[in-house]
Amino acid sequence: MPKGGEVGMKTAQETNRVLTTMSTSPAAIPDMEGWTKFARQAEESGIESVLLSFSRYEPDTILIACAVGLATTKLKFIVAYRSGLIGPTSFVQQLNTLSGFLNGRVALNVVAGSSTAEQRGYGDYLEHDDRYERASEFLSICNSFWHDKNEVNFEGKHYRIENGKIHTPFIAPDRNAPEIFVSGHSEQAQHLALTRGSCWLRLIDTPEKLAPIVKPFREQGTEVALRLALICRPTHEEAVKAGQAMLPDEKINKQERAILTKSDSQTLHHALAVADEVGWLSRNLWAGTVPYYGSSAITLLGSPQELANCFLEYKRIGVTQFIISGWPKLEEMVIFGREVLPLVRQAEQSTNGR
Amino acid sequence: MLPKSGEVVLQGSQTPREAARFRVESTRADSPAAKPEIEGWVHFAQQAENAGIESVLVAFNRYEPDPLMISCALGRATKQLKFIVAYRSGLMQPATFVQQVNTLSGLIDGRIDLNIIAGSSTAEQHGYGDFLTHDERYARAEEFLAVCNAFWRSSGDVDFEGKYYRVEKGKLNTPFVAPDRSKPEIYISGHSEPSEQLVRSQGTCWSRVVDTPEKLVRAVSRMRTAGINVCLRLGLICRPTRAEAVEVAKSILPEDRHEKTISLKDDSQMYREAAAVATDAHWMSRNLWAGLVPHYGPVWTVLLGSPHELAEAFVEYKKIGVTDFIISGWPEIEEVTRFGRELLPLVRAAEQRV
Repeated sequence: MPKGGEVGMKTAQETNRVLTTMSTSPAAIPDMEGWTKFARQAEESGIESVLLSFSRYEPDTILIACAVGLATTKLKFIVAYRSGLIGPTSFVQQLNTLSGFLNGRVALNVVAGSSTAEQRGYGDYLEHDDRYERASEFLSICNSFWHDKNEVNFEGKHYRIENGKIHTPFIAPDRNAPEIFVSGHSEQAQHLALTRGSCWLRLIDTPEKLAPIVKPFREQGTEVALRLALICRPTHEEAVKAGQAMLPDEKINKQERAILTKSDSQTLHHALAVADEVGWLSRNLWAGTVPYYGSSAITLLGSPQELANCFLEYKRIGVTQFIISGWPKLEEMVIFGREVLPLVRQAEQSTNGR
Repeated sequence: MLPKSGEVVLQGSQTPREAARFRVESTRADSPAAKPEIEGWVHFAQQAENAGIESVLVAFNRYEPDPLMISCALGRATKQLKFIVAYRSGLMQPATFVQQVNTLSGLIDGRIDLNIIAGSSTAEQHGYGDFLTHDERYARAEEFLAVCNAFWRSSGDVDFEGKYYRVEKGKLNTPFVAPDRSKPEIYISGHSEPSEQLVRSQGTCWSRVVDTPEKLVRAVSRMRTAGINVCLRLGLICRPTRAEAVEVAKSILPEDRHEKTISLKDDSQMYREAAAVATDAHWMSRNLWAGLVPHYGPVWTVLLGSPHELAEAFVEYKKIGVTDFIISGWPEIEEVTRFGRELLPLVRAAEQRV
């Protein structure tokens, strides 16, 4: 999902991390006009869900999902939230209420935390590993509220709940709890996804590298989603050129670096290392944008047919979902829905028919 | 007061007694009050706007959907009505709360105020993971609001070091957005000493249960001198004659004279006082009746009479310095309509004369 004001922006450079984290950025202000336009286009383009990112630079994800969800009919909202910022009982009450308004069109992306500095601004002083332990307790309690018939009792290191009960249920046509995406590359994140989540969310890499990592997740009943950015153009060459045009000027580059190196996210450090060392992971996978647009900017690029083949290959190794960005997001989504998705669906049909 | 979910009858009619029973039984697990139902709320909100009502209070408890979400959904469907969101201070980090409230303000053009409650019954608090005592909860609420107010006041980073909260360089880019102010009104309810202190130090409006003007005049004057507004909560029964109003009031009394819902809130000072008062004198004045209080608690104190008697009563409260009224009715929607049609014009006319 685009940031506030992003739908109206003219250049990709305006969406970079340095500018959108400034207090004067339109990213701080709810943008119902832009979001509604984007969300309705997403429905038309065959997109199932959008991810709403959580940070101190942007409006609250649960409330955005509520407002935009009421302006749409099919689109689902994957709400990113950090587990240390709200009690699990209150969180379940908010999400369940939201599910009732949107007929269940809400999923959850639980994030254990962000940079130490940002966490402290929210009143959270735990270290990286403790945050995962807390996230595990947090989700354990949430899952009890969703799945147990009885009152919830929990006695942990970070939370204690006695005879917890919330009358408002999670309401959806086909489920009684939201899907839970857990993102992160660290050992703890993977463990959390396996034990408490329904889908592990990680950055894209080459199918060869991912195949052995994806397999154990699928064997244990956990889905795998990849985050990537997409540049689809008529030819590979044009896509590469569009990618190069994304790179910003040197001043932004330095500021961006300064922000990124402060994070204690393992995911981000992996992505940065990849960008520095190789740049190109394969013919269609490029990490050149990562230093400027963040770790989720590893880019799959090429012609529609090349990209359709890539998606099918990821599907073959067990990947079940993709969370896709683009520059601009709206236009790239339209291209994806028009050029790439029909090729993928066609190939799936002929495989199934065989 | 916003009716509970499912309380508004869209087709057919509802007697005052049926409306009261719906509310009394709303804490049952199978009550429709648990499931958010936007249609009835939108209908009520439109009637309230037509009746000249400025704001509605949206309650918080474990039996009903989350009030921030309700205000978001209903705020998007209305144009003028304001929402006083009740929230308990121990359930999330103040920074997260401010981020949610600010986001909501941007989505509904600033039509949001807060009613901060330090806590509810011990049992309900335990279910939310809160194990503090009554007085500790007030100390925490004080810190909670101090941090919130710092976010709303400050253009720079927020630093706070207290017993319950610690925030280091807190910063939220999303501001509170409203045409006429940069922070919400903060209502604090309660009759205890700590609650009065809290409203003086961190709030803007003291909310308490109605009493006779003679009993209220000193406390109200103290608050107003300190620059704090005063809001009275009451139930309203307006009928062509006092005798008819009394008859309606009596019809709400439970068949089971021992029925009580107020034991749920065992450690609230307001509830203890009300219980004591109500048993020995059900008529507090000619128009103020506490007959329902022993059963359902202090907010069921009823102001009743003919339109003229009630208009006089409201003008009298205004004269002693009361600024706001939060009114309930049985059914809410009919009483709101009657209030706007019969009573408000008389009050406005009397104000003109003064």
